[in-house]
Amino acid sequence: MSVSDPVSRRIKRRSRGDVQTLVLALLAGSVAVAVLTPLLWVLNSARSVPLDRFFDILFRRTTLDIFLNTVVLVVAVTALSVLIGVPLAVLTAQTDLPFRRLFTVLAALPLVVPSYIGAFAFVSAFGPRGELADALAPLGVEQIPSIYGLVGSVIVLTLFTYPYVFLTTRASLLSIDGRTVEAARTLNHTRLGAFRRVTLPQLKPGIAAGALLVALYTLSDFGTPAIMQFDVFTRIIYVRTTARQVDFASIFSILLVVLTVVILLAESRIERGGETSAYVNRGTDRPGVVRLGRWRWVATLFPLAVASLALALPPAILFTWLGRSTPELAGAAVDFRWEFTWNSVTASALAAGASVLAALPLAYLSARGDGRLSSLPERASYVGYAVPGVVVGFGLLSVALNATPFLYGSLAVLVFAYVVRFLPQAVGTTRSSILQVDPQLLEAARTLGKPPLVAFRKVVLPLVMPGIVAGAALVFLTSMKELAATLLLRPFGFETLVTYIWQVQEAAAYGQAAVPALVLIGISALSMLVILGRERYDVKE
Amino acid sequence: MTNDDSTFGDRSERPGTRSSRRGFLATSGVAAAGALAGCTGLFGGDSGDYGAPDYDAADAAMEAMALSEFQGSGAILEGRPAPGGRSMEDLPNLSGELSIYLGGGEGGLYLQLFDVLEEVYPDFAYTSQSKPSSELALQIADEAQAGQLQADLFISIGAGSLGTVLEDGATRPLTEETVDPVPDAFVQPDRNWVGIAGRARAVPYNTEQLDEGDLPDSVMDFPDADPLQSATGWAPTYGAFQDFITAMRLQEGEDATRQWLEDMQAAGIQSYDNEFLISDAISTGELAAGFANHYYALRVLNGSPDRPLDLYFTRGDAGSLVNVSGAALLDRDENAGLADVFVRHLLSAEAQEFFATRTYAYPMLPGVQPVGDLPTIDELETPDIDLTELANTGPTTDLLTEAGVL
Repeated sequence: MSVSDPVSRRIKRRSRGDVQTLVLALLAGSVAVAVLTPLLWVLNSARSVPLDRFFDILFRRTTLDIFLNTVVLVVAVTALSVLIGVPLAVLTAQTDLPFRRLFTVLAALPLVVPSYIGAFAFVSAFGPRGELADALAPLGVEQIPSIYGLVGSVIVLTLFTYPYVFLTTRASLLSIDGRTVEAARTLNHTRLGAFRRVTLPQLKPGIAAGALLVALYTLSDFGTPAIMQFDVFTRIIYVRTTARQVDFASIFSILLVVLTVVILLAESRIERGGETSAYVNRGTDRPGVVRLGRWRWVATLFPLAVASLALALPPAILFTWLGRSTPELAGAAVDFRWEFTWNSVTASALAAGASVLAALPLAYLSARGDGRLSSLPERASYVGYAVPGVVVGFGLLSVALNATPFLYGSLAVLVFAYVVRFLPQAVGTTRSSILQVDPQLLEAARTLGKPPLVAFRKVVLPLVMPGIVAGAALVFLTSMKELAATLLLRPFGFETLVTYIWQVQEAAAYGQAAVPALVLIGISALSMLVILGRERYDVKE
Repeated sequence: MTNDDSTFGDRSERPGTRSSRRGFLATSGVAAAGALAGCTGLFGGDSGDYGAPDYDAADAAMEAMALSEFQGSGAILEGRPAPGGRSMEDLPNLSGELSIYLGGGEGGLYLQLFDVLEEVYPDFAYTSQSKPSSELALQIADEAQAGQLQADLFISIGAGSLGTVLEDGATRPLTEETVDPVPDAFVQPDRNWVGIAGRARAVPYNTEQLDEGDLPDSVMDFPDADPLQSATGWAPTYGAFQDFITAMRLQEGEDATRQWLEDMQAAGIQSYDNEFLISDAISTGELAAGFANHYYALRVLNGSPDRPLDLYFTRGDAGSLVNVSGAALLDRDENAGLADVFVRHLLSAEAQEFFATRTYAYPMLPGVQPVGDLPTIDELETPDIDLTELANTGPTTDLLTEAGVL
């Protein structure tokens, strides 16, 4: 390129930039379309249901029951999570509770137990033929209250999701302006009054953000209600899918997605409202520590009770199974093999790699593009948040059977499901790290005569790498845990940790679930480390 | 669930010849086994097809199976005659890779048998996937429609699911030679599926409280039998019991079945959680008789051989219904011959001995004795019912609910 003519040079650069933008846009657009495929297919399946049949399904008594079950479960779990999470946050952040740091960690830790493993452990402990029933049987106790249904689902989901509320509330508490509390105290408010009038309003956005995360999780969770035999949308969609009742499955899927979108909208509102006050520590004085006095030690009973139910019980159950050399039901399930772990790792690693590649153009366009259109593909990728795994599984199964039979039963379909589900995580981390790169750095590298790709590789890539790695790690770890989509889409002869656990659970051969369940908990713990590492939750207080 | 890595080992040496197989089979436990490890197996898709798993507290540990043994062990098996029928020795070699859809329930036990076959035939390997039978049946139908069948063979825990894949045209006929030794009742007329192991509805009874003569020939007369008043038990939530009611519905009609359900309740029948508990309660004298799958009584006896418990079979009605686990060849281009010969192996004397002594299933060969002095499969007076019709369970649960049983 001749350096003598600045005008032509500028034109060339402009056109090359346009081509780049176009290629990026095309890439991003196709990723967005691909991600939307399962949902569009579900919509299409529902559209092809004859109208009278459609309304017949929609207005059935059972549909109403499932809807109510789902809503009641979400509301109950969310309310209970607030009732557990907020007091724990207050205790660990604002009082002189002994061992505060330990209790802070303990209160956050239940997030590392996949809820269906918790459900599995609880059923085996408190189920009709569980450990408790066996222990009470010689005492003449014929029957214990059933854990199945709403009660068990609420208990388990609450125990393993309340940390969302705990963490967001805690973050708000740590950023409260202590002087407002002091001011209230000087105005003759009691401590409690000051808390109610001053602290609580400042906490609300944080509490709400956590509560909505809990609601979202509860709504999309398939494993726990399925194990607890509680008929909510996820469980019924799965049952209808395996029974090949496409009309039911598609209509219920849409209802579930609509519910999810409602919650997501509420969340985005609160997030936006909360950004200004709740999460920003304005560096002011922290409110004074509340002295519990005589109650100091009594107060530890609360976090202890929660921790023993959520953290001590499941592993204890798992280890008792581990100690059992004999399966409960001879021959009901196959022995565990490490190959299942390898399969899980393979599928999840492929999903992580594919997600990162797909996320790059979306994130780059959104972070660097101009105008609203350029962030459209990125926004489209967030559909994964709104589509629970069971819906993705059902949608892709239908696509594979009807549109792309040559892909049916291949690993590609399963990996793609993970990408659809978890791409938003990769997009989010990648985008935020791209935003942190000063565009002038790239210009500087270019002025030093580096071609654009080289400049990108040498300057930008090292800076965005942490975000990409974190995104890949999140996709990998969440894919490892995904249950419903894996069950529906696993290729022939391809068993993973979760499908194995599922089969063992169905056969009630608890003894064989211990190793894979413990492996999964370990994997989840890793994912929490990544998330906490990025969020920098302050646990030192 | 694929097989052990070892089976994918060095295939260059080919010891799979007749002579080495004979040596292997000679050491297999076709001779009587001695030990008394209570070897019990769960028969049937109790957990697969019917949702609720069957938890038997009394399910003892099943010893890891020594590869050289087909036969189970336990007090109940002492003095067993050698199984009659085609020996594996006389069957063609298995060679190649077979993929199997295995109806859930007792996948583990079946897989043990398949592993033995892999061991016997170094050139043979299998891959399998287990899901509930009814779910697999629908999946197979879908795959057949899309031209994407993933497996060569479907082994179902009940005949109903075999009917489903048959209706969808996903199967191909087995050879005459393969199904030849099995009684006609357990072979689909066009040989599209064959039973490989059976479970019979039976009436376990307490021999101290009742004589065989006290029990009516027909299950329909049970409500009026004096010695049975307030002394019988059933487990209405259990899938196999519902199959029994379905069979009654097919044979006697809705009204007679509803009447029977009401009369049995009027006669003071008691509900239990599962049929092992019923069989156990009968053996202790808590009940005089009940309705249960045949193998539960055998399990009780294997644990406590001295209890006064025996099995009675009604004649030619739902009370002596035999449902089967069965096999169907899936209509794929590859492996048709292998799958057929594989099923022939499942119907060999040795494999049938395995099913009989490890799961207490009803063998499909007249030459193989069921465990516990029961009539052989050809001596049972089973009802004249197309087993695939048992898939029609909807009206049955409605009926049970209407009659206040469920």
